[in-house]
Amino acid sequence: MTLAAGTRLPYLLTWRLARRELRGGLRSRFRGFRIFLSCLVLGTAAIAAVGSISSSIGAGLSADARVLLGGDLELRIHHRPATPEQREWLASSGRLSEIVGLRAMAGRTDGKDRRLIELKAVDDAYPLVGTVALRGGRPLADALASRDGEHGLVAAEALLKRLDVSVGDRVTVGDAVFRITGVLIGEPDRATRGIQLGPRVMLSRAALDATQLLKPGALSEYAYRILLPPGTESGDFRDRLTRAFPDAPWRVRDPTEAAPGLTRFIERLTLFLTLVGLSALLIGGIGVGNAVRAFLTQRRPTIATLKCLGAPSGLVLRIYLTQIVLLAALGIAAGLALGALSPLAAAPLLADLLPVGMRAGIYPQPLALAAIFGVLTTLVFSLGPLMLARDVPAAALFRQAVAPARRRLRARDVAVTGTLVMALAVLTVLTAGDRLLATWFVGGAMAAFAAFRVVAFGVTRLAAWWPHPRHPQIRLALANLHRPGAPTTSVVLSLGMGITVLVAITMIERNLGARIAEIVEEQAPAFFFIDIQPQQTADFDALVRSFPGAGAVRQVPMLRGRITAMAGVSVSDIQPPPHHAWVTRGDRGLTWTRTPPESGSRIVEGEWWPADYDGPPLISFDAEAAKAFGLAIGDEVTFNILGRQFVATIANLRRIDWASLGMNFVVIFSPGALEKAPQISIATVQIGRESEDALEAAVNSQFPNISAIRVRDVVADVNRIMGSIDIAAKAIAAVAIVAGILVLSGAIAAGRRQRIYDAVVLKTLGATRRNVLTAYLVEFTLLGLVTAAIAAAAGSLAAWAVTTGLMHVDWTFTPGAMIWTTLVSVGATLFFGAIGAWRALGRTASPLLRNE
Amino acid sequence: MHEQSTTHFRDKLPIVALSALELTLSSTAGAVEILRGIDVEIGPGEQVALVGASGAGKSSMMMIIGGLERASAGSVVVAGLDLTGMSEDELALFRRNNVGIVFQSFHLIPTMTALENVAVPLEFAGHADAFALAAAELAAVGLGHRTGHYPGQLSGGEQQRVALARAFVTEPRLLLADEPTGNLDGDTGGQIIDLMFRLSERKGTTLLLITHDPALASRCARELRIADGRIVGDVTRLVTPR
Repeated sequence: MTLAAGTRLPYLLTWRLARRELRGGLRSRFRGFRIFLSCLVLGTAAIAAVGSISSSIGAGLSADARVLLGGDLELRIHHRPATPEQREWLASSGRLSEIVGLRAMAGRTDGKDRRLIELKAVDDAYPLVGTVALRGGRPLADALASRDGEHGLVAAEALLKRLDVSVGDRVTVGDAVFRITGVLIGEPDRATRGIQLGPRVMLSRAALDATQLLKPGALSEYAYRILLPPGTESGDFRDRLTRAFPDAPWRVRDPTEAAPGLTRFIERLTLFLTLVGLSALLIGGIGVGNAVRAFLTQRRPTIATLKCLGAPSGLVLRIYLTQIVLLAALGIAAGLALGALSPLAAAPLLADLLPVGMRAGIYPQPLALAAIFGVLTTLVFSLGPLMLARDVPAAALFRQAVAPARRRLRARDVAVTGTLVMALAVLTVLTAGDRLLATWFVGGAMAAFAAFRVVAFGVTRLAAWWPHPRHPQIRLALANLHRPGAPTTSVVLSLGMGITVLVAITMIERNLGARIAEIVEEQAPAFFFIDIQPQQTADFDALVRSFPGAGAVRQVPMLRGRITAMAGVSVSDIQPPPHHAWVTRGDRGLTWTRTPPESGSRIVEGEWWPADYDGPPLISFDAEAAKAFGLAIGDEVTFNILGRQFVATIANLRRIDWASLGMNFVVIFSPGALEKAPQISIATVQIGRESEDALEAAVNSQFPNISAIRVRDVVADVNRIMGSIDIAAKAIAAVAIVAGILVLSGAIAAGRRQRIYDAVVLKTLGATRRNVLTAYLVEFTLLGLVTAAIAAAAGSLAAWAVTTGLMHVDWTFTPGAMIWTTLVSVGATLFFGAIGAWRALGRTASPLLRNE
Repeated sequence: MHEQSTTHFRDKLPIVALSALELTLSSTAGAVEILRGIDVEIGPGEQVALVGASGAGKSSMMMIIGGLERASAGSVVVAGLDLTGMSEDELALFRRNNVGIVFQSFHLIPTMTALENVAVPLEFAGHADAFALAAAELAAVGLGHRTGHYPGQLSGGEQQRVALARAFVTEPRLLLADEPTGNLDGDTGGQIIDLMFRLSERKGTTLLLITHDPALASRCARELRIADGRIVGDVTRLVTPR
């Protein structure tokens, strides 16, 4: 007889035995699995929901991409139209539509109020795809048509409200008067512009000339959309376009890049929320591990019996692994179902925030990812207890006390678990858009787990080592922290991880909020004034400086241009570093000055040019961008400014504080190069909130073409978006907290039998209920305080790393968040501890003592 | 029903052969010598009672014979197999093929019906007709009508009958019984013992029975007395079959 031959038992037997244990067991024996299931449902639902909602938005974006872009291809040029030759070539290639966008002021005809608007002048072909929706259903062409020498204009509701005018009234834009002919309720290509600083206004291309706003250098943007003839590949067309106009200053986009800003934003937000969701799953994993351990401890006699009857250890492992996996599948399936349905729930909530409709549907990829995360987490946290259960000796039936349960894993088991942990880590990193952030998260999570394990071990050892206090309650409390089966490790891990996530998110949010508030209150100007014509600069300066209450005024010339080569290498041959790709992407604002900027940046390398410099063009470059592109002082950078090539040498590098919301430029030219180019000036003005309206009115009445941007309004918009992000982050973080509380309450409840027995024995020996309750409260206060202290430190560290390392924002320690979370932590442990103690104390002594 | 080819060895070779057997366990209070040099042979079909005071080493000796515990020194040969070098899984296979065990606390698997409990060892051994054999065995112990009941729905006596059926269903060459009536009242215990002896005689199974009960011990043809980890008495008597 060969013994080994019999060890390969059919998997059918595994399944049969596992099913027998599961059968009818869900009601009673698997009661401990309520927390197991809840943790898995919460964690996978959070990840699946984030992924599904993100995919729904992505699907909406790509389904509407042509409409969002406004055609098959779009070309954008700053400040000037395409040449007649270019226009003709484009018009011969397909259906062409030309639109001009700029910021301007719209005002009441009585001069009482003026507001910044986002102006869009459209031709008859607009929109090539999709439709513009006006309230009442009037066609756009009809609304914009000129009647009796008066141009029509349509505007978003917000402008009508702000100016207190209605359809049929007249408004001024630049030098022209318009009749409001409609309220704009739907703009097909609205996602393609960046930050909107005012309500949208549309007028006809012909009417724009009447406003006299298109002065040389005005901050305008020309967009050419093309509908290609059927059968034309956009790639082929792009190639022909490049060959025909190799040096044209436009930026070309096709539907895959219809809303690049939004796509990037959604990707980053998705990753951030997925990581928070993963934290929830990991915290839930502790609950999964606890439930599996408790279940297997209860099954020890059965396992030993099976072994007595000849079951090999591998079979035992498979029987229980099968059960755990089946139960996990239940929880994961429920989580996936919730996640899959989440786009339906989120769609109405996000409708106002998104420029595109979400395509609610089932997205297999994020669901599969959430399922894999769920399965891996289950395995990582339950394999340890399962492997220990596999090694329960048959002799356990006879000799429990002398041969205690094996407590250490075999080296091979550790390797298997380690491999699964690595798989989880690798999956997290590989599926993330920003691998660096994901790697930091994985490292942070592992470090936090390790740290809290060490803390739990330390607390246990310290409690055991501590000289016995004379006070019996404190003695009992200390004993409860280190006795075998004490929930110390689970409580420290679950509560600690949960609080860490909460502290980190709260502190990041407070820091960003505080930084924005500080900038707005102390540093940021109240106004940006744009489109100041060269002949207006002196009068504008005089007006603003003489205005009562006006503080610092800065006025700089500005023109736009793009970088075409760096150190002799064409930009098209440079792979831009991800965080600085914007430097070479399209036109950038450029300026020139004789003296270094007074605020917002400082020179870190090189020398500033003399005030009377009049040599070959020099430039001052952003130090971080220079580092990212590998540029150094003395390197040449080539620019295309309004169609002309300029080669300039880097003279110095500046470190720029972008967060100061002042006027900052990546590139500043030396005097001599750009003075002759058509340019406008922009200005910042600091002034008290109470004088803002008056200053705006004064500037507007004297200079109708100058647009005023209120920083406060922009910041309010940014804050509104930040607020929405914050709600999303808090919602997912709440899942992590709930998972933590579930695990915490489960861990405390697991020791209930022991506590009831302790309480009964103590009461029998003459302890009052107050004595026992005090002991429990001391125990949980100690545990809560220690955990909260460590978690607050870990959370602050994580918040510091994210704020300074990833967001490049100055760090301020906010003790308020820390104190608040500490209180919550201690409160939570006390609350659940008190519930446990209360139940224990409610029991009468006699039945328990008889049974024992 | 199995291993027919080895039948001719039964008359010649002992089913259990312990030689210079020692067992030392480590505990928090230091090493404890449980068994101190046991030399015993038990022949095929023998019915042996193992008696002695609590802590004398009865259970330990039985566990070593059943492959549930490893000897610290000496040799253990059971059913012709040397257990000393076997791995955990080889020992499990050895039990499955050679040994039936009956416990004081029955140790039925609470999630399985009586029929499934009895069928489990056959299933481990890969028998296609495990459930038919198990049903027949349950009928033999008088529980043919309770096959679908769970242990929690059976009385103590019934549970021990199921345990007996489970121990005998594989037709083991050796049955180990540790105080099989310890948790039962006198009448029920008597019935169980009758059943156990009947089955062991009918199947020719060697029986090793731990007991504190002198009356029960006297039903076995041979009585081994153990004290302080050593065999201090080995009595063979004539037993009148009941």
